[in-house]
Amino acid sequence: MGLSELLSTYGEKYLQGLLATWSMTAVSFVFVMALAVVVTVARVSPYRPLRVVGDLYVQVFRNIPGVALLIIIAYALPELRIVLDWRTCVIVTTILLGSAFGSENFMSGINTIGVGQIEAARSLGLTFTQIIRRVVIPQALRTTVLPMTNLLIAVMLTTALGSQVPLSPQELTGVVSYVNTRATGGILAFLVSALCYVGTAFVISLVGNRIDKRVRILR
Amino acid sequence: MSQEQAAEKNVPVIELRHVDKHYGDLHVLRDVSLSVQRGEVVVVIGPSGSGKSTLCRTINRLETIDSGQILIEGELLPQEGRELARMRSELGMVFQQFNLFAHMSILDNVTLGPREVLGQPKEEAEKHALELLARVGVAEQAHKVPAQLSGGQQQRAAIARSLAMRPKAMLFDEPTSALDPEMINEVLDVMVELARGGMTMIVVTHEMGFARRVADRVVFMADGQIVEEGAPDDFFDHPRSQRARDFLDSIKGH
Repeated sequence: MGLSELLSTYGEKYLQGLLATWSMTAVSFVFVMALAVVVTVARVSPYRPLRVVGDLYVQVFRNIPGVALLIIIAYALPELRIVLDWRTCVIVTTILLGSAFGSENFMSGINTIGVGQIEAARSLGLTFTQIIRRVVIPQALRTTVLPMTNLLIAVMLTTALGSQVPLSPQELTGVVSYVNTRATGGILAFLVSALCYVGTAFVISLVGNRIDKRVRILR
Repeated sequence: MSQEQAAEKNVPVIELRHVDKHYGDLHVLRDVSLSVQRGEVVVVIGPSGSGKSTLCRTINRLETIDSGQILIEGELLPQEGRELARMRSELGMVFQQFNLFAHMSILDNVTLGPREVLGQPKEEAEKHALELLARVGVAEQAHKVPAQLSGGQQQRAAIARSLAMRPKAMLFDEPTSALDPEMINEVLDVMVELARGGMTMIVVTHEMGFARRVADRVVFMADGQIVEEGAPDDFFDHPRSQRARDFLDSIKGH
């Protein structure tokens, strides 16, 4: 099967797959960032139990293979009467993994802030919450644009876990499996999806670089 | 106790009673007692490692102490929490490394405290901030970020940031030690101005000229102890202790 035949037969399927990948990536990333902020604030809080929980969260979810986590969420949680639809299972898996890495990015961003600025904020009478909100988070966000760009790409690739469960519509990698069970697309079927991933990642890093140049903090 | 009551009763603005502090085995503050009256300028000098910076930082509890008492206008310095934050907001602090917030304009640096801590509206905070920036001579830099300013300009902006809180007293922790020589005077001039205006100040510094000119009292520290204190002319011309004589000899004559 040649490329033109592949695209004329399955082109629409690929397009749907690409859109599904994009939408799952976007939804996941919004929650990845939100959760990463929450976990990071816990990890730098003055309350030890919170710090321990935050560190534990990162250690656990950074060190579980995506597929294993997906299986737990899709097949073990129903034992606890928690039944999520397939798409949600994939998204939750991606969020849990991604936010652990996101928090690590934030921690390295926070380490660039320097204890002096925190002391200055404390000496002005700002509370912990005010310091986090006005001094720490804005700087952590602005110094981690490039690592977060990488994370967004990683999140997109993680949504390929969707190929392991019956999604409808399927995302890109699921489409490849679908095509290859029906026709002999072979390597070509993968190549089309690979181009979609690479193209998207290219655009993401282009935009990421632009944003980084705009918001980078002069030192 | 209100400010007026405190003034009437002659309660010191800042008072340390028998303060002790260790860093592991190192005894950094040994039974330090010091009291600073309203409007008084106390300059703390001494060799490096003498505990003078630590002393300065314990006063708004950036460093905790092991024993003793620290009182601000007769009130004990509270434990970590909201009360402490309030107390800190009443003491200005200027650091060796300026410590301006790197992601904010100079104007935002100065208005952050008044807006967040005192709840001032934006316009009021900015009006006051611009007055203060003009007073320290960096009004033209108000909309730049710290990295675009020279060290001297950054330190003057940092002083304005502290003043914006209308503090009862100002603590200066080696404010000119990180500056290029040609920028030291522009910062000292601002501090002289403040002292003349009646601000209560504790200044940790190596600038002996400033101490002689501005201090009401010079406190000499060595090995975590206050070795001697007195009027600047007495201290510089007739130091009583051998430690102080050695120190003064070591810094002059280049």
